Amino acid sequence: MAGIPHDHYEPKTGFEKWLHERLPIVSLAYDTLMIPTPKNLNWWWIWGIVLAFCLVLQIVTGIILVMHYTPNTEMAFASIEHIMRDVNGGFFLRYMHANGASLFFVAVYIHMFRGLFYGSYKAPREITWIIGMLIYLAMMATGFLGYVLPWGQMSFWGATVITGLFGAIPFIGEGIQTWLLGGPAVGNATLNRFFSLHYLLPFVIAALVAIHIWAFHTTGNNNPTGVEVRRGSKEEAKKDTLPFWPYFVIKDLFALAIVLLIFWAVVGFMPNYLGHPDNYIEANPLATPAHIVPEWYYLPFYAILRAFTADVWAVQLVSWITGGIIDAKFFGVLAMFGAIFVMALAPWLDTSSVRSGQYRPAFKWWFRLLVIDFIVLMWVGARDTNFPHDWISLIGATYWFAYFLVILPLLGVFEKPETPPETIEDDFKAHYPDAPSAAE
Amino acid sequence: MLKKLTLTAITAFAFSLSGAIAQDDAATDEAPAEETVTEEAPATEETTTEEPAEEAPAEEDATEEEAPAEEASDEEVTEEEAPAEEASEEMTEEEAPAEEASEEMAEEHGEEMHEEEHAEDSHGSAHIEDIAFSFEGPFGTYDQAQLQRGLKVYAEVCRACHGLRYVPIRTLAEPGGLGYSEDEVRAWAADNFEVFDAELDDFRAALPRDNFPAVSGEGMGPDLSLMAKARAGFHGPAGTGLAQLFKGMGGAEYIAAFLTGFTGEEQEVAGQYLYENTAFDGGWVSMPPQLEDGLIEYDDGTEATADQMARDVAAFLMWTAEPKMMARKQAGFVGVIILVVLASLLYLTNKKLWAPHKYGKDMDL
Repeated sequence: MAGIPHDHYEPKTGFEKWLHERLPIVSLAYDTLMIPTPKNLNWWWIWGIVLAFCLVLQIVTGIILVMHYTPNTEMAFASIEHIMRDVNGGFFLRYMHANGASLFFVAVYIHMFRGLFYGSYKAPREITWIIGMLIYLAMMATGFLGYVLPWGQMSFWGATVITGLFGAIPFIGEGIQTWLLGGPAVGNATLNRFFSLHYLLPFVIAALVAIHIWAFHTTGNNNPTGVEVRRGSKEEAKKDTLPFWPYFVIKDLFALAIVLLIFWAVVGFMPNYLGHPDNYIEANPLATPAHIVPEWYYLPFYAILRAFTADVWAVQLVSWITGGIIDAKFFGVLAMFGAIFVMALAPWLDTSSVRSGQYRPAFKWWFRLLVIDFIVLMWVGARDTNFPHDWISLIGATYWFAYFLVILPLLGVFEKPETPPETIEDDFKAHYPDAPSAAE
Repeated sequence: MLKKLTLTAITAFAFSLSGAIAQDDAATDEAPAEETVTEEAPATEETTTEEPAEEAPAEEDATEEEAPAEEASDEEVTEEEAPAEEASEEMTEEEAPAEEASEEMAEEHGEEMHEEEHAEDSHGSAHIEDIAFSFEGPFGTYDQAQLQRGLKVYAEVCRACHGLRYVPIRTLAEPGGLGYSEDEVRAWAADNFEVFDAELDDFRAALPRDNFPAVSGEGMGPDLSLMAKARAGFHGPAGTGLAQLFKGMGGAEYIAAFLTGFTGEEQEVAGQYLYENTAFDGGWVSMPPQLEDGLIEYDDGTEATADQMARDVAAFLMWTAEPKMMARKQAGFVGVIILVVLASLLYLTNKKLWAPHKYGKDMDL
C-alpha cells in the first residue's frame, strides 16, 4: 500500500540535508505528525491518544514507584505503606498508577468496540487489528502481574487462581505452573519474577504500539463511513483529509483533558473505589478470602472462564470425545482464551462487503447486543456462581462466541446493507453543509 | 486437613523467619484465626526501627510538660447525641440524626443522616449502618477533635491487643491529621510506649521516629493500621457498588458497627469463647465486647458513650489508614480546576481551528 499522497519533509538548510542523508529522523517525525487523516473522524476516534497517554503515565509513575518498592514477600506490603506514608507525593503516585491501569482498560475497551463497530479490523487493516489484540493481551498480563506486587490478600490469591489456570492444561500443566511460580506455590520467587516481568512488558507494549501506529499509518485511518480516502492525487486526498497536526492533535488533546478531568477526580476523591478492600490486608497463605475477585477489567473473560462447568452438555461432550483430557476446568481456560482469539479472527469472520456498521441495519443490533453482553458478563463475573448467575454467564459466553463465529459470517450473506456515501468529502458535507469545497 | 496442616507449617516457618506476625484476617476465617497463627509468633513487642525520623530538631529537650491529649480544641467539638446502639435490627429507627454542630457539615451530610442505610452484604448477616463521618465526600475533612478522641480510645482500650505497625508516631504531628505539636508527640510517645531498640539491645521509651508498636502473640488481634481500608461497609445496591461511590467504602462505618454490634450472646467452641456480633461476617467473633458507656474520660468533655467512642476510634483508624487524605483531596481539587481551565481553552482552540473547514469562515469569539 503506497499510503495517502501528501507533502513530504524537504530538508532545507545545509545541516538538515546533512542529517537527512545520514538519518532521516526529522522526515520520520514530520511524516508521522502530518499524516493525512480523514476529516470526518468522530469522537470515538480519540481513545488512541488516551491510550498512548496511559502508557506513558504508567511507565513514568511505575519507574518512580520502583525506586521505593521492595519485591520481597517480607517487605513488599510494608514498602507500599512506606510509599503511601513517607515518600513525597507517593500516595498520589501510587493511586495514579493503580487507577491509571483502570483508565488504560476503559480506553482500550472503547477503542476495541469502536474498531468492531466501524469495521476497522477489515482488510486492509488486519495486521493493525492483530497487533492491537497482542497489545491487549500484553496489557492483561501486565495488569495481572502488577496487581500481585502490593502483596495483599487479593494479590496472593489472585496469583494463585490465575496461575492455577495453567495448571489445568493436560499433562504439562502442573509443570508449567511450577515453572511460572518458581516453586510449588506462590512465594518469594513468584513475586520476584512477576516484578521483573511487570517492568519488562510495558516496553514490549511500547514496541507493539509503534508497530500498531506504523501499520495504520501505512493503510491510513479507518473512518465512520468506512470509505477509503481517495488517493489518486494529492489534491484528491486533500478533499478527504486534514493533516494530523494540528487538527486532530488539538481535538484529541481536548478530549484527553476531559478524560483526565474525570480520572483526576477519581484519583483525588475516591482512589480506592475500583480496588478491593482485601488488598489492604497483607498476603496470608492461611486465610483464603471469602470471594476471590479479579480486577474489574478481567471480569468479562473471568465470567466466560467460569461459565463452562461440568454440567454443560458441550463440556461433557468434549470431555467424552477427548477421553477426559479436556475436562471442565481446561475447557473453561480454553474458552477464556478462545473468547479473545475469536476477536482476533474477526477480519476473516466478517464477510460483509460494507465496512462500517453505520450502513448495516441488522449488524447494528447484533453489535449493540454484544456491548450489552460484555457489560452483563462483567457484572456477572463479580458474582458468585449460584443460580441464576451460572445461567447468565453461560448465555453471555455463548452469545460472545456466537457473535463472532456465527453471526458475523452469516450477516454478510443475509444482510442487505445500505449504500455508504461515495467519498469522505460527501459525508463531511452532509454534516457541515457550509464546508468549503476545497480544503485549501 | 492435611493440606491445611502443611500450609500452617509453611506459614509458621515464614513467620518465624520474619519474626513478625502477619495481620491475620479474622473476618475471612470461619474459626477464630488466632488458634492457627499465633503458635510461633514471638511474644515480644516488635517495633520497626528502620525508618529514621525526618524531623530531628531539638530531639534532646523532650519535655515532660503535658500529654498532648490534655488540650481540648473547643471550637471544633461536636455534640454527638446519638444514643448508644443496642445493635438490634429495629433500634435504628429512632437514632438521633443531629450529628454535626457545624452548619456546612449539616448541609453536606444532613440528607444522608435521615435515611437509614443498611449495607447490602452478599453474605447476608452483616449489618452496617451509614454514619455521616466528616471525612466523606470530595470536600470531607478529618475532624481534628474526633481524631484526638479516637487516639485516646485506641491508646486506652484497643492497644492492649491491636498494633498500628505501619503508623509512625511522628505522623501525629503532621498536617491534615491530629494536629499535635512535635513536642507534644515526643512527650506522648515517651509516656505511652516502650520499644525494643536493636542497637541498644534493650527497651527504651518510644521516640516520634518509631512506629506504633506491633502487637502479636497469643490471643492478640489483627493490626489496625489499614483496617479502615481493608473492610467495606457497603456493597449495594444489588452489588453494583454505587453506594460506595456516594458514601465511601464504609470501612469506618464497619469498624463503628462492629464495636457496637455485640448482642451479648456468647458460646464456647473448642475451648474458645466466641461472641455474637451483628456486623461481623459469620456472626461470631473471638474478640469480646470492649466499649461500654463511660469506659474512658474524654479530655474535651465529650460524653464517652460506647457509640461515641466507636465512632471516634473508627475515624481515628480511617486516619491511620489514609493519613494523607486531606492532601490528596486538595491535590484532586486543584487538579480538577486546572483541567477544567485547560479543557476550556482546548475546546475553544479546537473550535477555532476547525471553523474554516467546517463552516467556511472564521469563528466569532
